[in-house]
Amino acid sequence: MVRSAGPPQGADCAPAGGSAAAKPQAWGDQITLADDAIVDAPPGGERRWAGVALVIPALVVVGLFFVLPLLLSAVGAFRSTDGAFTLAHFAKALDFYGRDLVFTVAIVVLSTLLIACVAIAIAGYLTLGENPRSVALLRWLYRWPLFIPFVVAGQIMRTFLAKNGMLNHVLIGTGLIDPLSAQSMLDWRGIVIAFVWKQAPFVTLLLAGAMASLERQHIEAARNLGAPRWRVLMDIVLPQARGTLLVGLVLSFVTMLSVLSVPLMINPNSPTMITVDVAYRISTFADYAVANALCLLSLLLAAFGAAFYLRHAVQRVEVKG
Amino acid sequence: MKVRSLLSIAALGLASAAPAVAETMLNVVSAGDQNMVDYVNNYLGPKFEQMNPGVKVRAVGTGPGDSGSQKIYEKLEAQRKAGSATWDVDVAVVHQRGAATMVNEKLLMPYRNDIAAGKLVSRDTAKNALGANVDGYVLPMFHSQIAFAYNPDLVKAPPKSFSELAEWVKKNPKQFGYNGVKGGMSGVGFVMGWVEANSGMRDQLEKGPYDPNMKPTIDKSLAGLKDFNQYVVMTPGNAGTLDMLNRGEIAMGPVWVDMFYTWMADGKMNPKVKLELPAPGLPGQPMYYVIPAKAANAALAKKFIDFAESPEVQAQGIVKQFNWYPGIDPQYVQSKMEPAAWNKLFTDISPADLASKGRPFPLSDYFTDIVEGYERVVLK
Repeated sequence: MVRSAGPPQGADCAPAGGSAAAKPQAWGDQITLADDAIVDAPPGGERRWAGVALVIPALVVVGLFFVLPLLLSAVGAFRSTDGAFTLAHFAKALDFYGRDLVFTVAIVVLSTLLIACVAIAIAGYLTLGENPRSVALLRWLYRWPLFIPFVVAGQIMRTFLAKNGMLNHVLIGTGLIDPLSAQSMLDWRGIVIAFVWKQAPFVTLLLAGAMASLERQHIEAARNLGAPRWRVLMDIVLPQARGTLLVGLVLSFVTMLSVLSVPLMINPNSPTMITVDVAYRISTFADYAVANALCLLSLLLAAFGAAFYLRHAVQRVEVKG
Repeated sequence: MKVRSLLSIAALGLASAAPAVAETMLNVVSAGDQNMVDYVNNYLGPKFEQMNPGVKVRAVGTGPGDSGSQKIYEKLEAQRKAGSATWDVDVAVVHQRGAATMVNEKLLMPYRNDIAAGKLVSRDTAKNALGANVDGYVLPMFHSQIAFAYNPDLVKAPPKSFSELAEWVKKNPKQFGYNGVKGGMSGVGFVMGWVEANSGMRDQLEKGPYDPNMKPTIDKSLAGLKDFNQYVVMTPGNAGTLDMLNRGEIAMGPVWVDMFYTWMADGKMNPKVKLELPAPGLPGQPMYYVIPAKAANAALAKKFIDFAESPEVQAQGIVKQFNWYPGIDPQYVQSKMEPAAWNKLFTDISPADLASKGRPFPLSDYFTDIVEGYERVVLK
């Protein structure tokens, strides 16, 4: 790639055209660039092939197990049984599961917002907390859900949030609610609680790391000027760690979009998340076409997250550059 | 020290995992819940190995519900498309819909007339799977049945029919729970039972012929279910219904009878809870033993199924230990069991009730119409 950026062979002999004056200058720029690149590039063809050979296994794995299935799935979503192009699968997907699509977006967006609040609160306290013991305790505690798989989180919530589950027992026992007003939270609330519980530590981990690497002087200066801790967090610390927070939230957004186990265990009935519908189309009807259409629709949602992530990542590189 | 002991354990493990001389591996692939894999690995397999030295039975599960059978179908289909001379599944255990598809696509081998136990089956399901002719290709491993479970402390007089149930839920809102159509087959079965009871087309649903123009009739009966749903609780899955019954969050709901008895035997279920089959009935289904058309060890597979269908194994394994209804005619099984164990299975639901109200699932095409209708009419 780098080498081919140079001028074409025999460029000097190129017949003089109408824009001859402009050409050499442009090529001259390219030559400078190419010269630099050539100095950096490894000498000899084998080295380059070695590099390619090193990358190939990874490329093959990505190509075979990610790109190819993705393409097959995309093709399957648009193909009718006789092989012709059709939009019928999308029509059916939207007709049957349009509500679930909206429900999925709502659940995931709400969870993402709540995760942001929890992560800011915990990471903020870890950075600005003044009681070393409670900071240490919180630091030790908050990571636990990170090591618990989604399916286990779903199972925990199923017994914890049930009408006669542990949460309501505690609330009734402490007199906060009376037994008759106890209700099951195994619906959208259960899914949101499971997601926030599972994903908030992940975002906190990233955010607390970013906050810890900030210059302490900023914080101390603000504190010296009499700013309360919440203002330091909101006005000094958070703006500087904003990028990391956003990246963490986008990654959580995309992860939550693809979780099957939690909605399946907590609330598989309508409305439910799109992943349950995909599993249902395949397992009950062996209907891969509509399942593929649903997958593409959810890919579209994830693409918003990806676009956001890429734009932000690029911005950061540019800022650093 | 620690590392060394770990290494020696690993070495031991490797040594014991090394194959013994001239061992034949019989691959049993089973759809369905984990208890079915347990049944082969812990009960049936060891017994068969004991009787046939040099044979090792290996059971693998592909997951519950029709999707488990779908995976087996996809595997066999892939091996056929690849042109493999022999397929690496010797015995498969599949649902009715899966068996119908596989017979239709010629992925299975007829074997019932080759084995002695083939003469012991009597139910219609040995020949007919949801309208598809599977005569000769399948033997029912067991029958399972959906029934209402209810807590007699909370429900003194359980509704005896679907119409009584519809009245009952209005008087006792949020006391009946089921798991919809996406959370497992006990919920699906309830919906099928509802449509059979309220559409007036029971015989046609079960026996055919299939008529796509009946969709409006099906949808009409589902509209009543939409109204019914306002008074009930949606549970998360087959086990979810049992869980909620057990915690007293609902008083009644449809469950698989075998799961119910297994939970009861394991002490996971309130022992007071009872079963009932409402009129005109709820569906049940068998799981089938089948042999793939190009099974590597077909002869051994036949021997294995013959053993699994013998009255002794059906009595001790299927009925006594795993609480399923027998796959072969009950008369051969009952004589092999002590009356107490036999009666336990029929405490709440008598054999006569089971015969009249234990229905098959509707034909495959109607099945699809009903669950899709449920999504269109009830969920939207």
